[in-house]
Amino acid sequence: MAESPARTAFAEEALTHLDTLYRGALRLTRDPDQAQDLVQEAYLRALRYQHSYQQGTNMKAWLFAIMRNLFWDRFKGSRKEDVSLDDVGEFVLYEKLRDEGARPEADVLDKLAASEVVKAVETLPPLHREVVLLVDVEGFSYKDAATALGVPIGTVMSRLHRARQQLQKSLYDYAVESGIVRGNGRPQVQQ
Amino acid sequence: MNCKDCSEKLDRFVDRELNSTEVLELQLHLESCPDCQDHYEFEAHMKRLVKHSCDCDTPPAFREKLRQLLS
Ligand SMILES: [Zn+2]
Repeated sequence: MAESPARTAFAEEALTHLDTLYRGALRLTRDPDQAQDLVQEAYLRALRYQHSYQQGTNMKAWLFAIMRNLFWDRFKGSRKEDVSLDDVGEFVLYEKLRDEGARPEADVLDKLAASEVVKAVETLPPLHREVVLLVDVEGFSYKDAATALGVPIGTVMSRLHRARQQLQKSLYDYAVESGIVRGNGRPQVQQ
Repeated sequence: MNCKDCSEKLDRFVDRELNSTEVLELQLHLESCPDCQDHYEFEAHMKRLVKHSCDCDTPPAFREKLRQLLS
């Protein structure tokens, strides 16, 4: 296939955002093979719709939007998990641990394994997971996250807030189960 | 600023989404309130933990395959 220089330059630039797309796809699909399929399809589509990308706007957000829209198209067809979160109520891990006598950072955060954190992220409903991926993992501003997700900034903020509470709740439950803290929040070590 | 205002703005502070006036107000509160300061450090630590834990690079073989496909 003979390719124009413009197409090649566009593909080159798009590929500089590959890690962001791959990480996002991996956490959304939770499967490396599916993630690769999704990313490949997203890149092919991006090239096909190259003309709809506006120079000077955020290409990373544009590419992420294509990838997550493809994910949602597939996801809706095979939906086996909740799209949104049940309201867990206000759950602030810091306050819970402090009120129960633990040192929140030293006793708990420092003892959580990366794999447990990934598990907690991956069990968030996708609608909330994608906000955490964009803002916390990829460092998107609320504005860029809103662009990538096609929602108002206020929606990004409220989803992020609830996602963090759910994440903290999952990590707390894990910390209790694994004995990092007791059920009442106290650390295992005697004071 | 009181502790409630501070806690309501903590997400945006951690995410660097406050304007410079709000940042100054919040920092002033943190300097005088060890509990909010600890809470802030906890949330910032939490954000770093999520980023660090979810970090991974694209498998090199896949990167190469994609590069070939797109060029
Ligand atoms: Zn305070």
